[in-house]
Amino acid sequence: MITRLPERWQYRLLLWPLPVLLLLCYVVPFAGIVTWSVTLPELGVDNYARLANDPSIHAVLWRTLYLCTIVGVCALLLAFLMAYCWLYSSSRWQRWVELCIFLPFFISVLVRTFGWLVALRNNGLVNSWLQELGLIDSPLALTRNTLGVIIAMVHFMVPFAFFPLLSSMRQIDDRVLLAARGLGASRLRVFISIFLPQTLPGLLGAFIMVFVFCLGFFIIPAILGGGSTLMAAEYVFLQMFQTYNWGIGAALCVLMLVLVSGLVWLLMRFSRVERLVG
Amino acid sequence: MHQTHQQDCIELLVEKTRRGQIDRRSFLKAAGMLAALPLAMRSGIGWAQDRPVIIVNWGGDAIDAYQQAWTDSFTRETGIPVRIDGSGPTEGAIRAQLASGRPSWDVVDAEPFTSLTLGREGLMRPLDFNTIDRSKVNEEFATEFGVAGYLYSYVIAWDKERFDSAPQTWADFWDVERFPGKRTMYKWMNGVLEAALLADGVVVADLYPLDVARALDKLDELRPHILAYWGSGAESQQLFLDGEVSIGQIWNTRAIVLERDTEGRVGWHYDNACVTPSSWAVLGDNPAGAEPAMRFIDHALEPEGQIELLKLLGNGPSNPAAEALIPEELIELNCGSVDNLARQFKLDIEWYADHYGSVLDQFLSRTGG
Repeated sequence: MITRLPERWQYRLLLWPLPVLLLLCYVVPFAGIVTWSVTLPELGVDNYARLANDPSIHAVLWRTLYLCTIVGVCALLLAFLMAYCWLYSSSRWQRWVELCIFLPFFISVLVRTFGWLVALRNNGLVNSWLQELGLIDSPLALTRNTLGVIIAMVHFMVPFAFFPLLSSMRQIDDRVLLAARGLGASRLRVFISIFLPQTLPGLLGAFIMVFVFCLGFFIIPAILGGGSTLMAAEYVFLQMFQTYNWGIGAALCVLMLVLVSGLVWLLMRFSRVERLVG
Repeated sequence: MHQTHQQDCIELLVEKTRRGQIDRRSFLKAAGMLAALPLAMRSGIGWAQDRPVIIVNWGGDAIDAYQQAWTDSFTRETGIPVRIDGSGPTEGAIRAQLASGRPSWDVVDAEPFTSLTLGREGLMRPLDFNTIDRSKVNEEFATEFGVAGYLYSYVIAWDKERFDSAPQTWADFWDVERFPGKRTMYKWMNGVLEAALLADGVVVADLYPLDVARALDKLDELRPHILAYWGSGAESQQLFLDGEVSIGQIWNTRAIVLERDTEGRVGWHYDNACVTPSSWAVLGDNPAGAEPAMRFIDHALEPEGQIELLKLLGNGPSNPAAEALIPEELIELNCGSVDNLARQFKLDIEWYADHYGSVLDQFLSRTGG
């Protein structure tokens, strides 16, 4: 049956399940969310007016954007270093880097979050080691605050930045770098003028991917934030389950989706997605 | 017309079943022939007792404890099966249940202001005080939509290794000179604003309506010393066990466990604590029907089960008749005893019913960073 169709139609048929699944599992429920945002508690754009004017919602949004930016930058930096190491090291070292990336990748986020709590709390592993070594007198406030949230989120995000960066680094033609060296450029000069600019699309892509992922974080800030690092996702949960403002919760979801769509558009506009995953 | 006639047939069937003229099997068969099973199912008679009554509480140890204190004996006495669901009946969760059009919950162990708010909107069943004996619960802990199943309290607990004297008042809680060290308080606000106002010199009689702005300002003073706002009882317990905090505003139920597990390192008392009732309430249009749900609530007000719960979890009985029956070693732990009630102040349910959502938003935007 299927083979009688023209070849391009065969491929199109194979593509169908994904859009259908997305339509059913994502677009339809999201239409419900949009409806809530303009009908609860009553018809109108009151919820959006509140989003625009309520300082407590602004505080949550700014905190979320600020944290995501910091996490994005830190994760990018670490992932860049790891990818760079991977690229220029022996295959034995490459295995080590891969292990460091893959191992945490397969441990559930909940387990890792509690792990960080045990490691970072006042009398946790890190603080007691530092105290035994005599480096600090009183424990550092490493968790139950914004810092703890950032540490755990960066750890979670490094693999997501590593792969796109590595893929863009591998596409750099070694011969260009050698040519630059041959023409007398120093190693640093080669890195800054030749290597780095070519990884820029990868850097931008990785940053946006990490940033978008971070926007929806719930468990890590809820557990490591000490009850004082309220981010957008937990705020939505709060409006849905604790205070029953489904309208405002839904409006915030719509706003986040618009933000994410804008970022994804940027991603597709300025960096070639297929190169990030290649 | 057809609808009306069909309904009439069902009514007749229901009537006959009620009088015992036909048995349940015949009833179901007849209803099935009328293609009216769904309609008949909603009439709330007879077989509704075949389906379990779903009791929703807050999970954890409370699932086993409720089973021992209440549901096993209820099923033994009435033959009505019960299932406990620990997913937490917050106001939003109950509304989500009802909004779905087919709630799967029957009885909820909710915050009293939740049952009051939802009841006033017509979403909960008014309690049937013909089935539920209202005299089994202290009058101030019963409303039209919820009766207290137990009492619990937000107490001051402290680590005795950190200082010699005991913090007595909320002013002591705020006094970081005399009582140094980190603090912890409840993330979802109950009792926290009250504590701040009491620390600021307000007397209990003038607490409500709460001066929210003043309370939040007072709370800002303590902010550098608050290590964490705990969101779950287990979290508050861990903070004390690990010695991360020296004072906390925590549930009496956790304080009791802490004092036992730390062999007295953690102390606590009921002085100036904030006592509040739980609230048994029934969802409107609940699947098991009104009758078994009301019977369960009445059963859960019996002193025996309440004392069992006090033994297991430390929750205070809401039935005044329980006090005389409490074993000696538990008397001091009971936050609902006449003596202990006099040392505590009561959370104002009416105020919370009117203000909870909007004030919680303000509270979290101040504590949340």
